[in-house]
Amino acid sequence: MSTGNVPWIKDDQREVTRVCAQTGVMLLQHSAESALAESMARRLGLALGMDAVEIALMANGITVSTIQAGRCHTTVRRNLDRGINMHVVTEVQRTILQVEENKLDLAGVARRLDAIKPSRYPRWLVSVMAGLSCAAFARLGSLAAGSEANIGTFVLTFVASGVAMQVRQWLALLHFNPLVNFTAAAFVATSIAAQGVICPWVDRPKVAMSACVLLFVPGFPLINAVSDMVKGYINTGISRGVMAVLLLLACCCGIVLAMTVWNAWTWL
Amino acid sequence: MVMNIFYTVLQDFGLAAVPAVGFAMIFNVPKEALKYCAVAGAIGHALRFSLYQIGPLPIEWSTLIAACVVSVIGIYWAQKWRAHPKVFTVAAIIPMIPGVNAFTALLAMVDLERKGFSQELLKTAIDNGLRAFFIIAALAVGLAMPGLLFYRRKPVV
Repeated sequence: MSTGNVPWIKDDQREVTRVCAQTGVMLLQHSAESALAESMARRLGLALGMDAVEIALMANGITVSTIQAGRCHTTVRRNLDRGINMHVVTEVQRTILQVEENKLDLAGVARRLDAIKPSRYPRWLVSVMAGLSCAAFARLGSLAAGSEANIGTFVLTFVASGVAMQVRQWLALLHFNPLVNFTAAAFVATSIAAQGVICPWVDRPKVAMSACVLLFVPGFPLINAVSDMVKGYINTGISRGVMAVLLLLACCCGIVLAMTVWNAWTWL
Repeated sequence: MVMNIFYTVLQDFGLAAVPAVGFAMIFNVPKEALKYCAVAGAIGHALRFSLYQIGPLPIEWSTLIAACVVSVIGIYWAQKWRAHPKVFTVAAIIPMIPGVNAFTALLAMVDLERKGFSQELLKTAIDNGLRAFFIIAALAVGLAMPGLLFYRRKPVV
């Protein structure tokens, strides 16, 4: 028996299985929810002429089987987390919608999927926006509590979270583990905000302390975890939820470390 | 008095748009979709604010209703713009995520370890942890609600 192509599986079925697996993995890697990854991979296979496409999702991998005329072809791909990127998710989905409208053939899909490059916003812009977001959170928090804070509190929050976001992006660029990354960045954010407690030029340092770390709340993984579980993908939901809680705990370590170093226990 | 409440809700509306856009940029939402995130985030947060601060509802139910509304808006735009609704809606509900509660619960647990057991710290940890859990569950279920009720056997896009 030859170790090359298995003769009873046609080459285009093999190729369809490959693009289905690639679609599923690209969606999972960029933090799409499991239901989307599964339905997109299935719809792509059906649109390319398969009789059935079966997909099993695991916490860090995907198995795809295509069935055509009673013949079955299965492949497994490993899923490495590439970070949240909605641009990739949108592009992959639009490619598959084009296939369903018969505007793209098999070779075209493979070309389009390979050509998708994750686009990113300029790092300084993201940092500025993260700083503004946390300053807005500080204002929203005092709005809900019906209290007031002076402009110094918001400026301190802006600086603390903007610098922390810059640190976080820089460490992510150096391929540090996200847990290490979040601990270090939360330490930086709390250290800067703690200066408001030490030198009392800010009237509500507690607001700044709690608002400046809000950019580290893993909102996307938390929401994905619950919606995966609601839609029946319990195992991917649990793994995403555990990762989100670990990221929160990592931030917590950074905050406690900073509060210990500066002796500013204002949180509770 | 009425003007005062109106002004507060308007302020909430404007402020909530900022984190919605900020987090949309962290999630690399395409540039053309940022305005949808901003509007949906502002509508969701201001609606929740009016429901639980001015209206009679508890925060969890207000969150569920606001997330449902954001999800319906997201589906409408998703069909027009040919993308999955989560591309807009997750960034839009980020301002409603109970980050302070989640961190307070974890820090209270750290304090329990540091200072030893006290009823007060345990109360802080459990109160805040449960609140964070229920609000996040309400957000995710609210986002899934149109899919659970109307799009049962057919895809949104």
